Amino acid sequence: MSSTKKAAPKTKEARVTVFERIGKKLSDFGKRFVDGSPGTKLSHFVFGAGNFYHKQYIKGALFLLLQLGILAVMIFCPSINGTPYGWKALKNLSLKNVTEGGDFDPMTGHLTVGSDCKLMILFGFVTIAMILIYFLIWNMNIKSSVKADNDKRVGKKPTTFKEDLAELLDGKFHVLMLTPTCIAAAVFSILPTVFMIALAFTTYNSQDMNDLGTNLFNWNGLQNFRAVFTGEGSLGFEIKNRFLPVLGWTFIWAILATFTCYFGGIILALLINKKGLKGKKIFRTVFILTIAVPQFISLLAVRNILGEYGPFNQMLKDMGLIKESIGFIGLKPGDSEPLAKVMVIIVNMWVGIPYTMLMTSGILMNIPTDLYEAARVDGASTVKMFFKITLPYVIFITTPYLISSFVGNINSFNTIFLLTGGGPTYTGYQAGGTDLLVTWLYKVTIDQGSYNTGAVIGIFTFLITATITLITYRRSKAYNEEDTFQ
Amino acid sequence: MRKLLALLVASILAVSLLAGCSGGGKVKDDGVIRVWVGEESAEFYQKICDEYIAAHADFGYKIEVKGMDTGSVAGTITNDPTAAADIYTVAHDNIGKLASTQCAKPIVDESLVSQVLADNPESFQTVIYSTLNGKEYLYGVPYISQALFLYYNKALVTEEQAKTFEGLQEAAKAANTKAITVTGDDGFNMSFALLARKVSDKSTTVKLFEGAESVSGGSKGKSNCQGDDTVAIVRWLQDFASDPNGFKWASPDGWEADLNKDNKGALAVIGGAWHYNSAKAALGETNLGITLIPTFKLTDRAVEGLSTVKAGDEYRGGTFADCKCFMINANSAVSKYAKEQELIKYLSSKDVQNKSYLEVLNVPAYVGAADYIKQCFEEGKVSESEYMLAASQVSMAEWGIPQPFITGTLNTYYYSKNGPAVFRAMIDKTAYPTTGDQILTETESLESIRKGLYLIEYLWMHGVTPSEFPAKLPEEA
Repeated sequence: MSSTKKAAPKTKEARVTVFERIGKKLSDFGKRFVDGSPGTKLSHFVFGAGNFYHKQYIKGALFLLLQLGILAVMIFCPSINGTPYGWKALKNLSLKNVTEGGDFDPMTGHLTVGSDCKLMILFGFVTIAMILIYFLIWNMNIKSSVKADNDKRVGKKPTTFKEDLAELLDGKFHVLMLTPTCIAAAVFSILPTVFMIALAFTTYNSQDMNDLGTNLFNWNGLQNFRAVFTGEGSLGFEIKNRFLPVLGWTFIWAILATFTCYFGGIILALLINKKGLKGKKIFRTVFILTIAVPQFISLLAVRNILGEYGPFNQMLKDMGLIKESIGFIGLKPGDSEPLAKVMVIIVNMWVGIPYTMLMTSGILMNIPTDLYEAARVDGASTVKMFFKITLPYVIFITTPYLISSFVGNINSFNTIFLLTGGGPTYTGYQAGGTDLLVTWLYKVTIDQGSYNTGAVIGIFTFLITATITLITYRRSKAYNEEDTFQ
Repeated sequence: MRKLLALLVASILAVSLLAGCSGGGKVKDDGVIRVWVGEESAEFYQKICDEYIAAHADFGYKIEVKGMDTGSVAGTITNDPTAAADIYTVAHDNIGKLASTQCAKPIVDESLVSQVLADNPESFQTVIYSTLNGKEYLYGVPYISQALFLYYNKALVTEEQAKTFEGLQEAAKAANTKAITVTGDDGFNMSFALLARKVSDKSTTVKLFEGAESVSGGSKGKSNCQGDDTVAIVRWLQDFASDPNGFKWASPDGWEADLNKDNKGALAVIGGAWHYNSAKAALGETNLGITLIPTFKLTDRAVEGLSTVKAGDEYRGGTFADCKCFMINANSAVSKYAKEQELIKYLSSKDVQNKSYLEVLNVPAYVGAADYIKQCFEEGKVSESEYMLAASQVSMAEWGIPQPFITGTLNTYYYSKNGPAVFRAMIDKTAYPTTGDQILTETESLESIRKGLYLIEYLWMHGVTPSEFPAKLPEEA
């Protein structure tokens, strides 16, 4: 409670600061224009004009080229695969005025392509990004001119292009290093994410697309999100009936898979590191060997071992314990769902425990021995020492690992997909008994072509994992007391 | 060090910029026509193409043939048509999708069109056209025929027993195993039951998008899945699947594990030519028998309450009778167009189809190929199993129809909208969702079977489940 009360005035204060900042920026902008040299004034309209005015020709030419380049794209709208960039791309974002087929000339065999709504959305967003970049460069060009003005005012010579480049290797080295990273993040991370989010508001699924034309779809507002509660979407009642069970199992799986592997690994590490145990290195090597085998091979091997004609079923049959094969991992419709769930958790322990064991071994070897000696002097038992020294120490260090492991298990595609394929399946639904949100998402998009519903599931998965990660991490000791361990 | 890093960063930016600026230009004619065929046939077609160039010095192009997995090649092409070959091979079910996504261009050469119309059966001719801007064009040129047939374990099943489901059941009883399985539970494999035809007149009431227009969003034609014969077949299969020596769905370990001579999971499997090597590996060449999909007789329970079918009526398991086709990539250089059509005309000629049967066992698609196949066997040019592999497919083609997917939509509706899953649930007698979120738990009565079949037909036509069942389900088609 007290923290909430304290937070309120802070927020108000922050708001004031934001408005003040905006006001100051605007006033600075006006001042900059009024006080600027003719070159600076002109650079508000013609990029690089200020630089030309200060005889910084190369820099000015680069700014001007960028302006002309972006304006040319915006005006002339070059196209790729028949879909334009520029102002036409902004217009196309409405997904109106589309054509299904292209023109064909039987004499020459020339065929032009029809509209592609995916590219229309993508190029629309790229164009918006270009507009943002345009204003960024616009600001940079004005700032550059103002800097030259100021240099002149204090009697300094405006910097040359060579000096600017040298500055990039010195004072602005961080800018040089971070630029490719930022560009890569924008192109490979932000743009696809924005595109994926946009799809959640469209009719982009194989069924509707085929009705309209194979590459055509429309915006449909929040309908795909409503479908989670009403069942009136491209996935029918599946999204309504299976969303909560799949979400629930995803949580149960993530919790059990994380903690079984975590504590299993700690116990194993404790056993291996026990004083007096002979052949420690051999034990460690044996467990590390399971990591050396690619996970998908281990999982497929287990799938075969537990299969209908696999050795495990065969052994039970030979022993006379069963007559018909048991569907241990739910590969057939009608197989037991609880059994399949238990089996995936057990198999996951087999592939997951060695990782924790390896990490915990290192941590255990680094716990200061004087802590144990002091505890022993005070008369602490072995159990007490474990709970009061070992466990808190290990947890303190491994909390970030625990969180990333939990989130990783929410998105644990391999284990489920390779082992059970999400089965046992239920007629009428893509989501089987052991499907996680992420494997269901795969089936919904790849098998069913319901990309819009897939995007909705993706957004929900993101919100859940992001929320859990932030809350848990911010509340953990590893975050709050990162400098100390007590 | 800093200069080095800066240089590295500048290089990365420059390369990214260049990569970003590349592509998107006009397709250039590089003097090579690239052809994608099935992996097993690549060497053969390269040889055939080399021979053609040697005999036609004025052809003017080099030809490069590459083997591709024909099952996934359509996806490869739609993902990036610019990277696909000039001429590629796909099963005919992909024509609608490839045409409507402008991954393929129409074929207009008159002599080639005439050859296609003269050589191919009418059933193929209905599925190789598609429309562009309202006009119908030929898109695919058939050159391989495909149909389902039966592989069986000759060590445990006699030739006579393999002719009927009842015979297989008898052999399975003796071997204490299941009689027959399929290679998957998808819409393609369930055709053996849904498309079964009456032996006496090869009739069925099942219709799949009959008369559908070959344009996206056009008429989906007529479908029917509710005839008395279909109801009776479902009931018969329900009983046959419940029998300890009857039908089983393919094991999750794979149908090969079922057929395997050591596992003895099932004595026979309904499959296609593409399963030949796996079936041979599972049984060994000497134990591998090949024949038509067997016949079965309707039982008293199967026809109970039905007026147009009788107990004892004999049906043969059905199949989709498909063809593989050559198509021209829409992104191929315009200047190659005429030569591409010339090359396809040659590659799809009867002569080359015959050669491809002899050398790589591709079953010819043209009308009358059965005579040539028989002649080859009689002349000792092919082994018995190689002959049966082709002869069974040619014979089964008479009992089948081409797969239903003139447009991408029908393909999706038939395969991906739960129709096959509902059919499996009906046969397994397990519960399944029907209208809205209602679950049908009773699956054996006549009413529930009619409901299930209505549901399947509705899914075929609309891609979604109906909001409710009609007040009165049709008593017959």
